[in-house]
Amino acid sequence: MAPANIPHAEAASTLAVITWSNEPLLFLTGDLTIIAASVSFCRTFQITPESVTGRRLSELGDGEWDMPRLGSLLKATALGSAEIQAYEIDLVRKDRKPRYLVLNARKLDEGDAGYVRILLAITDVTVARAEARQKDELLREKAVLLQEIQHRVANSLQIIASLLMRSARRVQSEEARGHLHDAHHRVMSIAAVQRHLAVYEPGDVPLRPYFVQLCESLGASMIFDPTRLSIIVTVDDSVAAANESVSLGLVVTELVINALKYAFPDYRRGTIAIDYRSIGANWTLSVRDDGVGMSTGADKPKPGLGTGIVEALSKQLGSVVRVDDGNPGTTITLVHDQAAGGDSDLPAAA
Amino acid sequence: MQNRRVILVVEDNPIIRMCAVDLVDAAGFEALEAGSADEAILLLEARPDIHLVFTDVEMPGTMDGLKLSHYIRGRWPLVKLILASGKMIINESHLPANARFFSKPYQEGMIVGAMIALLSDGPAP
Repeated sequence: MAPANIPHAEAASTLAVITWSNEPLLFLTGDLTIIAASVSFCRTFQITPESVTGRRLSELGDGEWDMPRLGSLLKATALGSAEIQAYEIDLVRKDRKPRYLVLNARKLDEGDAGYVRILLAITDVTVARAEARQKDELLREKAVLLQEIQHRVANSLQIIASLLMRSARRVQSEEARGHLHDAHHRVMSIAAVQRHLAVYEPGDVPLRPYFVQLCESLGASMIFDPTRLSIIVTVDDSVAAANESVSLGLVVTELVINALKYAFPDYRRGTIAIDYRSIGANWTLSVRDDGVGMSTGADKPKPGLGTGIVEALSKQLGSVVRVDDGNPGTTITLVHDQAAGGDSDLPAAA
Repeated sequence: MQNRRVILVVEDNPIIRMCAVDLVDAAGFEALEAGSADEAILLLEARPDIHLVFTDVEMPGTMDGLKLSHYIRGRWPLVKLILASGKMIINESHLPANARFFSKPYQEGMIVGAMIALLSDGPAP
């Protein structure tokens, strides 16, 4: 690869560095005659290495490098009046797909006005660009798909909720109607998580807006006189994973339904207070009412579905259920303590 | 059964539509139903006594519930509008003025509440 027809002798080390560079490189004179090309250049652009030295850039290959804009930019670089930085260009060749190139060129100045050398680095970004485009498309598709799934889930939940309410309107038995309404509350509780997941993807659900919305929904369908009964929600800035949020929401739903059903008989006035706070991995959820309190002894109600649900969910959440006499009313607390663990002592209710 | 306010339910899902009709009926209104925007417009043309349209947003066909609601507002400005959507977020500014929006699954009590509030507010068409 000795540049026989070029007046200035090039240092053998310079030529070796260029020839064996991993990056496609061209070493050019001021009039765009090629002194050396890297092996990687010849391989990338399918050019016979023997045919390179001494040729003009415009004569390379089938003349595909004869791009007027590139030529004038390189000449300006040789004159020192321009610099090529991340210049993007399409390499169009006969019978081959175009390649997208990023060019960087630099004039090597050794203080001799007659000695002008240009180092041109050519990066083929065709594959990288295609991959980036594909990635963008996949992300867009994913977002559309996610929306579509959320929409379908919402519609499916609507079908279930609508059917439950329609049955509740038509059924004759008051007890059956109560069960259908409870089932409806549970569906709506899960739907509320779904809604928050859709807004705050991915994964974590902020509990305050979720519990507030949940209790608004419960109040709207169960409290007929808001001046008599109210629900207060106090939650810190905690977030919870989606599946934990579903469980916590269902616990709140069961306990609030329970309190609304049993704590305020005979038009008693009162408040139900939901409180959730966490420190690190430990958390406490309490539902407190100032109603009549839980009955004990012979007239205490049999364990119902609500109690079973709370116990099962508490176990799943790794928490312990505590029941306290609120004086007045009842406070039920779920405590998740990483260091502890154990069984719940939730008495019969619901 | 006379002089009941007339509410048109527009929903492509037959189960949800059936239940919504039942809901409207139970709330004491007269319910009409349509499975698409085109059907809804035909009904609105035939029945000038429709007071309120309760429509789903995502529906197949040339017009979704949002476009339908704007069309209704333009052609029958006195008809009240309630929209429900499975999409969680909808830009409220895309709704016609005074239209109410609920995301699915909706709380039926809130829908009935909105119907009563809208129908007691302003003259009937």
